Amino acid sequence: MVAFTRNNKMAEVILRDYQLLPIISRFGIKLGFGNKNIEEVCIDRNVDLAFFLEILNSYHNADYYPENHLSGFKADVMISYLTNTHSYYLNSKVPHIELFIDKMQKEAKKENSRNIGLLKQFFNEYKIDIEHHFKDEEKNVFPYILDLEEALKTNNYSTELIEKIKKEPIEVYERNHESLEVKLADMKNLIIRFLPPLSCEDDCERLLTELFQLECDIEDHTRMEEKVLIPKVKMLERKVLEYYGI
Amino acid sequence: MEFEHKKMQTVIASEQYLVRLGVKTLLNVIGVESDLHEADSFEELERLINDVPDLNYLILSDELLPKKKQDCLKDIKGSCSLCKTIIIGQQKIPGCVFEHFILHSYDRKQVVEELQNFFQESESTQEKNDSCTLSDREIDVLKTVALGCSNKEIADQLFISINTVITHRKNITGKLGIKTISGLTVYALMNHIIKAEEVR
Repeated sequence: MVAFTRNNKMAEVILRDYQLLPIISRFGIKLGFGNKNIEEVCIDRNVDLAFFLEILNSYHNADYYPENHLSGFKADVMISYLTNTHSYYLNSKVPHIELFIDKMQKEAKKENSRNIGLLKQFFNEYKIDIEHHFKDEEKNVFPYILDLEEALKTNNYSTELIEKIKKEPIEVYERNHESLEVKLADMKNLIIRFLPPLSCEDDCERLLTELFQLECDIEDHTRMEEKVLIPKVKMLERKVLEYYGI
Repeated sequence: MEFEHKKMQTVIASEQYLVRLGVKTLLNVIGVESDLHEADSFEELERLINDVPDLNYLILSDELLPKKKQDCLKDIKGSCSLCKTIIIGQQKIPGCVFEHFILHSYDRKQVVEELQNFFQESESTQEKNDSCTLSDREIDVLKTVALGCSNKEIADQLFISINTVITHRKNITGKLGIKTISGLTVYALMNHIIKAEEVR
């Protein structure tokens, strides 16, 4: 699969792969780009071109691995993107799914309404899980990465930072990074295999589509954290330690 | 892929060509889709039992068997335990390890019925194993898992080893496609295996 480059027309990118729509909106890029290419659109919207291309290509092709381009953009750009994605899940995707579950529950007969109530509770637990997961990253992991980058820029390292690299490097986070998709897969299974048939097939179909999409998106998101962010942070950690001669 | 069913393997064993031909024709009539292998001697039958991987069905005319028929049949059962066998003969062999028979005195209708039973019965048991029906013991385990018990607690409650608990849990997840404990709890509640008040 050929990767997109800065000279590709933005409109053609979307026409080729409509699944990239939510990605561009996460960068604050709006439709109506006429005949502008990717580079021009990025300049217009003040988006980091190198990073945008990496994300676009990673989502477009799961095998794409931006090994050589890791240093092409700064970690803070990536962190702001990941934070945006978190709020996209919580403020856009999750409420959508909840809406469909509510609709289904209202339309279902008594016994099945109880079943949907159970699914609702299950999804609510999931929501709490991901909120917790995202909050932990935003409060503990991302600031650490920003500190690393800032320290390298200013050559000003605090002893706390050096301690943290030694005691709690990004590897600890990598080891404990749990999968957020398993519960979504269970939810799909419960609906597809075990929920007695409903009369509102349309809503059920849309709910499933939302779940499939969210699962895919979160998979990509996790891949981004594990394949792009973590290697980059490891590189930053090494640089800081090297500078200090440790 | 789970959906790609392996083709069934059936051996038809008789010394007589006409019997083998007759069986093949009837299998065609009742719509059994299977790879067919023929044996015209006991040696050939033994060879097929060894060579055909995953043999499902054996249709065996008893004149093929050497003298001690019961013992031969026991050996056959021992060497292909997953294979179902039906015997064609003058009369039922007393103390036989197999329960399906076609007697020479049967008319067409009886023979067809007997063959249909023979093939259908095992199809339905196979389906049972594939499907999401849990065994009674698995339901016991699911109940405790859904209520939030640890493997150790489950083992103590049900008087089984932790390894057995783990195997049951693996099978439950395999059958239901549900991996998380809270997912299993929802399943158990949906199917009234546990009550909402019981959940911790």
